[in-house]
Amino acid sequence: MPIIEVEHLTKEYRLGAMQGLKQALRNAAARLTDRTVTERPLFKALDDVSFSIEPGEVVGIIGHNGAGKSTLLKILAGISKPTAGRMRVEGRIAPLIEVGAGFVPDFTGRENVYLNGSIMGLPRREIDRKFDEIVDFAEMAEFIDTPVKRYSSGMQVKLAFAVATSIASEILIVDEVLAVGDLAFQRKCFDRMEDLIKRQGRTVLLVSHNIRQVERICHRVLLMDHGHVAADGLPSEICTRFYSENDEKIKRQSAHAARAREQTTGDVENARVELIDDAGNVTDRLHFGESARIRLSFDTRIPLVNPTFGIGIHTTDFLYLATENTHERFQGMTLPVGHHTLEMTIPVFPFLPGAYSVRVGINSGELSHVRYYAESLATFRVLIPGQRIRGNMKEGFVSLAPQWALY
Amino acid sequence: MLKVVKNLYDYRELMLTLAWKNIALRYKQAYLGIAWAIIKPVTLMLIFTLVRAFVGIESGDVPYPILVFAALLPWTFFQESTSDAVNSVVGNTALIKKIYFPREIFPITSVMTKLVELGINFLILAGLMVWYGMLPSIHILWVPLLLVYTVLAALTIALAGAAVNVYYRDVGQALPVLLSLLMYASPVIYPLQLVKDKLLTQQAAGEWSNALYTIYTLNPLAGIIDAFQNAVLRGTAPDPHAMLPGMVSILLLLPLSYLYFKRAESFFADVI
Repeated sequence: MPIIEVEHLTKEYRLGAMQGLKQALRNAAARLTDRTVTERPLFKALDDVSFSIEPGEVVGIIGHNGAGKSTLLKILAGISKPTAGRMRVEGRIAPLIEVGAGFVPDFTGRENVYLNGSIMGLPRREIDRKFDEIVDFAEMAEFIDTPVKRYSSGMQVKLAFAVATSIASEILIVDEVLAVGDLAFQRKCFDRMEDLIKRQGRTVLLVSHNIRQVERICHRVLLMDHGHVAADGLPSEICTRFYSENDEKIKRQSAHAARAREQTTGDVENARVELIDDAGNVTDRLHFGESARIRLSFDTRIPLVNPTFGIGIHTTDFLYLATENTHERFQGMTLPVGHHTLEMTIPVFPFLPGAYSVRVGINSGELSHVRYYAESLATFRVLIPGQRIRGNMKEGFVSLAPQWALY
Repeated sequence: MLKVVKNLYDYRELMLTLAWKNIALRYKQAYLGIAWAIIKPVTLMLIFTLVRAFVGIESGDVPYPILVFAALLPWTFFQESTSDAVNSVVGNTALIKKIYFPREIFPITSVMTKLVELGINFLILAGLMVWYGMLPSIHILWVPLLLVYTVLAALTIALAGAAVNVYYRDVGQALPVLLSLLMYASPVIYPLQLVKDKLLTQQAAGEWSNALYTIYTLNPLAGIIDAFQNAVLRGTAPDPHAMLPGMVSILLLLPLSYLYFKRAESFFADVI
């Protein structure tokens, strides 16, 4: 017996602002004289969405901005009504949609706990009973009698999260709230969520852009795209798919997007990075486990004395994964003015499938001045020969190429 | 009908908390605090008393200041609770967009909040009665019923007004203006007896007189204010003839107003 059942849910919004009196009169006149009325266009935020959720399931909802995630949650929480379709929700829903919505700045923390609690449907006696626990969890004992308007935003969210998660509802809706507070508190929220899920067996709907988090907590993931449910299944599969779609998008964009963080003295220009695969072809697709070459070509307008080169690989969100440097290798050399090419050969390419970028730095001179530096000079995808991606392939970036032994 | 009340009863704690919030919020950073609740009717009473010294309004056996204060009690309550309630949905946008509970809780809570201020003003009225040496009669027992009726009258405007205000903010702007006009069409400055004398006894408008009186009393406040003065000051029962037209209009309009609100409610979060 599913706890949430959604059938053919559709939600339309009318685009544009409210019509002024003039337009309304003109439309009325047009209607009377049987001419066509200029209606504002419709936008489908949700388009024929169907799914069902069993009690105790933890479902992540991911997707691009505007894919319909929050609209879906709003309809499930009863805040907004669908244009068409049916939905059935058994049991109470506690929405954590932007916690602290009901906070009154002039009230003290204590008053707000009571206010927010009863807005969420918690009886007063219940709040009395849980009050200490809430304050304790939020680490707010010291400030509980200070007006909330004097709190930092992190403090407000901590308190709101503590109230919201203390409600014993069957279904918990969480919309982008775990990304709050300092690292220690985020960790605590995370543990609390896991506790709610694992020990109290609550059904949770989690919307987040933090895909790694979704992958970790959820049993099941819905991928939304332009109001549709594009995919529904195991977190590892759906998240991998979402990553690769994202990677494609980033790659398409960065093809003409500016190089990130490019800094140059003007002495080195026309820097270009090419990737060459095992077979010697210039490509933007490398294969895991095969050899690969990264070729850097550039023009220099001054002689480069004692040049050093650095080539690094980073993720599309600028996590530096590996950086190699020529150090003393070309010490004592001077590169004359003109066009040059540097090649770095990687015998066994260790990165797992995904999208990666190349960053490059060129230094020269007695004091090793930075002549040129740029990130995202080239973006490429890593594939696995034979397209066989095993389950663990997305849990990390590199392969240790291990040897196993069992005693 | 019963279902509506039962449903609201389930949310009584929330309504109490929200009412407490409204009151606390209003007076939290005000030095005079809750005293502001009595300043408005008391000032109006003084002004009207002053004006009366020039124009002369017949007030019967009851001293004019206390008569006008007794009229101002239900009137101020009605005026302030409807003005507040009409803006209550729009004023709680943050909550409307984040969480669901029956939306009529907002206008109802606004009206309930004003009951507290009304209660404080009752104390002033009691003080005035002591000052003028007036004793309440058994008819004071009508007061609770009259209050219920006033609350229903306020809700009739509040529910529909609050819903329309979500779509057209004009309502929130227009209502205070309309209400201050309505005050002159209600027996606040003058007693209802004057209107009765003019229209029913003297037939001042000829054959239209009786019809005009009915139209005048279609405004529920006409009956409420008169009945309130009767019950508290004059020691007589409410005048059913003055009450009936207003009661009929409320009885017809309140369900419509409520149904309209419930229909519009589903779209509040999308439109607001």
